[in-house]
Amino acid sequence: MQYLHLIMTLAWRNLWRNHRRTIIMIAAISVGAWAMIFMTSLMRGMVNEMIRDGIRALPGHVQVHHPAYRDDPSVSNLVSMTSTEIDALLSGAGIDRFTARVRVPAIVSSERESRGVTLIGADPAQEVSVSAVGTKIVAGRNLEGPADGGIVIGRELAEKLETEVGKRIVLMSQDPENEVADRGYRVVGLFEATLPTQEEAFVFAGRKTVQDMLQIDDRVSEVAIAGDNYRAVDGLLAAVRDLMNDEDEVLPWTELDAYLGAMLGVMDGFVLVWVIVIFLALSFGLVNTLVMAVFERVREIGLMLALGMRPSSILGQIVIESVLLLVLGLAIGNALAFASVVPLRGGIDISAVAEGMEMFGAASVLYPEIETGDVILANIVVLTLGILASLSPAWRASRYEPVEAITKV
Amino acid sequence: MNITLRLAWRNLWRHPRRTWLTIGAMVFSNALLVFMISLQLGMYELMIENTLQAFTGHLQIQAPGYKDDQKMRQVVPDAEPLAEKLRRNLGLETITVRSATFALLSSEDRSYGVQVFGVDPRYESKVSSIPGLVKEGRFPAGRDAQEIVVGKVLARNLQVSLGDELTLLGSGRDGSFAAAIATVVGIFDSGVTDLDRSIAEIPIGFFDDVFFMEGAAHAVVIVTPGLSTIDEYRLAVDALLPAAGDVVLHDWDALQPGLKQAIQADLGSAFFMYAVLVVLVAFSVMNTQLMSVLERTHEFGIIMALGLTPGRLGRLVILETSLMGLTGLFLGAVLGGLITLWFTYNGFSYPGMDQMAANFNLPSRFYPQATLLTLFLGPAVVFAGSIISALYPALRLHWLRPVEAMRAL
Amino acid sequence: MTAVRCVDLCKTYRQGDQDIKALDHVDLEIGRGGFVCLSAPSGGGKTTLLNAIGGLDIPDSGEIWIAGQRIDRLSKGDLAALRLREIGFVFQAYNLIPVLTARENVEFVMQVQGVAASERREKSQAMLEEVGLRGLEERRPAEMSGGQQQRVAVARAIVSRPALVLADEPTANLDSKTSDELMELFVELNQHHNTTFIIATHDQRVMAYANRLVKMLDGRIVDDIQQQAA
Repeated sequence: MQYLHLIMTLAWRNLWRNHRRTIIMIAAISVGAWAMIFMTSLMRGMVNEMIRDGIRALPGHVQVHHPAYRDDPSVSNLVSMTSTEIDALLSGAGIDRFTARVRVPAIVSSERESRGVTLIGADPAQEVSVSAVGTKIVAGRNLEGPADGGIVIGRELAEKLETEVGKRIVLMSQDPENEVADRGYRVVGLFEATLPTQEEAFVFAGRKTVQDMLQIDDRVSEVAIAGDNYRAVDGLLAAVRDLMNDEDEVLPWTELDAYLGAMLGVMDGFVLVWVIVIFLALSFGLVNTLVMAVFERVREIGLMLALGMRPSSILGQIVIESVLLLVLGLAIGNALAFASVVPLRGGIDISAVAEGMEMFGAASVLYPEIETGDVILANIVVLTLGILASLSPAWRASRYEPVEAITKV
Repeated sequence: MNITLRLAWRNLWRHPRRTWLTIGAMVFSNALLVFMISLQLGMYELMIENTLQAFTGHLQIQAPGYKDDQKMRQVVPDAEPLAEKLRRNLGLETITVRSATFALLSSEDRSYGVQVFGVDPRYESKVSSIPGLVKEGRFPAGRDAQEIVVGKVLARNLQVSLGDELTLLGSGRDGSFAAAIATVVGIFDSGVTDLDRSIAEIPIGFFDDVFFMEGAAHAVVIVTPGLSTIDEYRLAVDALLPAAGDVVLHDWDALQPGLKQAIQADLGSAFFMYAVLVVLVAFSVMNTQLMSVLERTHEFGIIMALGLTPGRLGRLVILETSLMGLTGLFLGAVLGGLITLWFTYNGFSYPGMDQMAANFNLPSRFYPQATLLTLFLGPAVVFAGSIISALYPALRLHWLRPVEAMRAL
Repeated sequence: MTAVRCVDLCKTYRQGDQDIKALDHVDLEIGRGGFVCLSAPSGGGKTTLLNAIGGLDIPDSGEIWIAGQRIDRLSKGDLAALRLREIGFVFQAYNLIPVLTARENVEFVMQVQGVAASERREKSQAMLEEVGLRGLEERRPAEMSGGQQQRVAVARAIVSRPALVLADEPTANLDSKTSDELMELFVELNQHHNTTFIIATHDQRVMAYANRLVKMLDGRIVDDIQQQAA
């Protein structure tokens, strides 16, 4: 369409008539676009890391429990099936990343100190498949199997208890008859976790050893199952629900950790709000630029109308000018954002506020992550709203009466 | 000056739409800043007060190293006489002693490991909110009563109610075995699940007996009349401490480092976002003022031919920007104040906030308050940014030569 | 064949608190190929009449016929189409689109009409040469003198063979020599292409070129003289 070519030529050349103004506007849009993407990549990085860590700590995307367990995590509230049955059912259905574990509150005592902890009895191979907390060993060794008689504790806990690999500690909990169940364990390894509190909270022993200590045969407190994508667990959830007994409770991570679950939604909301706020701040300048441009060209708009050009073409010119501004600004802003995130891929060290980040549940190193969805959202929102914002000055321009426009001094 | 002022003001209104759009950008950003800053600062203050009031207090006297290691044997000797001395000399009733340990609490059917605190019933209610949150029963009567208060969730998990007996098992100050029986006289409900699940309180004298403290305690907790008075009380307390120096005085920042850091981290990210807003407004102002200067080139040429210096013209431009900026500042502060006021009455909340809030001791609905600081801090910075951005157009006038200028259209 | 026919045109403007009769019962007929000057002192109504004939302004009452078609009650869209096809304009100033080159300005109307690129090129080149601007085709208006700009405007006005060319004080901003050159160009095109020219002016020198002079005063035609063109 030759006509369209004409309008585009006019729009483009008119943009550069006042190059200072155009450059400032493009610079502003670039800064806005950069800020949108950069900020959200930092936040996304933090939240994604938090969620991944949180899921590691649960662990898993889906968990199975006795319905009263979450409120009252005692040894009396166990999953109805035995760990052998669970193994068979899940593996049979092709679900191979899960761990069936005993998980009860206990007191650990060394020679000098006592602490309250959560005792986990599990199969180390299964734990690794779900990449739960406690699998990163930094001293000694990991447990060798579910019947291993040793115990693995966190490095922080070892310090607090003033104990080390090779020494003996005592674990005290209760059996189903509320009798004290205790046993001595030799510390065979120390683990490290992202958040120091995790190192103090959990101790790991072989599942069979713990089951014996608590006299609960082959039963477990929870089954944790890992999927592939934390954003899409419905399929896994349904599959596990089918396999497990109805009397047991099967829940996804979003419900197990309400805080984490809320984070995802809050983050999505935040991104949208941030993009719109920036756009609104830009929109005043954008509309102003277009209004000024139209005002300066009143006579020639009148001329074009007098010569017989349709008003819709005038509207088109202004809108296209706006689109060109936006596209240029967005392109530069996007490029800047990518350029500034790439060198930070190694992580931003914010250990100065490490304990504060722990309150949020976040680590002390920030890894920015650019999510395609966010980038697309930002660009589409700016482009669409920008076109809408340009409609007003464009409409007014197209409404000029040729006679008045031409005779304007 | 009067004429210049009038001239500057009228120059602004030669292009009302352009001026309004620029002021609009300022008002939008300012209103947003006022609201956000009111919200943030208010939340921070509440967060701090709530967390400290719950338990930590503003200052604590402890044994060196206790803060990090929390070992049973790190004690403040003769704690109660020290507390009494402080109460008398400072004229403050909000001072008490506390001890802490980890112990196994057993009811007939259940056992749980919890933090057990020894508190002074006469003064604990003045320093912590927990005694006031006892919804069933009462707080222990005297410092030696063999009574215990537990959180609501703990009571449920232990399956006990008022009048039932609980057994305590733990280790004493010297590492020896400690045991006792206490009667449940009160159940508290703080609304914070973590607290309600993991804390029990017994009278300090009872604690001293059971755990062989020999008159020592783990902390002397002091609450000052307000956050702003902490420093002055800190000095006073320091002066009253035994010269022997076996104790350390910490303020809440050291006791809850996460709190201040979480606030700092939040402020850091907020600062970035606010900076972007200010920059975008500055661009808008720069564009407007640049255009305003360029289109008056001819006129300025004449004025300079008549004898005015470029300096005076530059100052005129700055004056115009200031007038615009002040208008934007006041209108923005008013709008922001009104928005904040609306939320002061209706409360502020967003989906997912209740989960986030619980983590930080905040209520799930927040009522922000606008103060003089929050009303003018943001807008003042925007104003400054606008003046700075107007320097470029103002300086361009410096190079203007009258004859050339007059040749411009 | 009548190019333009105006019957009892009336148009009143309100300026401040006064009513100004810009057209007061104007009757006029111009044959095809005519070369007419409309003259009047400022405010005499010549611009209003020109705008009415050109379909830019609708009179309050009366009829206007262009090439046998009645145009005074047409819709805005139809008027635009009319201007596009049938009428060429040359204004006193701001005739050209600043961001387009001379050639692009000349091609503008054809492009809006949808004429093919090659044909446009041919015609615009021929036209620019005819008005004596060979070699200046790629210049922008800012790079040309006042006289050259007016020539481009004329080229544009003629290139799509309109029935009518309306020029409103085309020489007002030009010096005498350039004015003469421009008027000679008008005359030549009028004779060569038989296009009707209506020129509004109050410049005596311009009036001398016309073979018919229509004088207006306060919105009425007061004199209509056939004369010998200079």
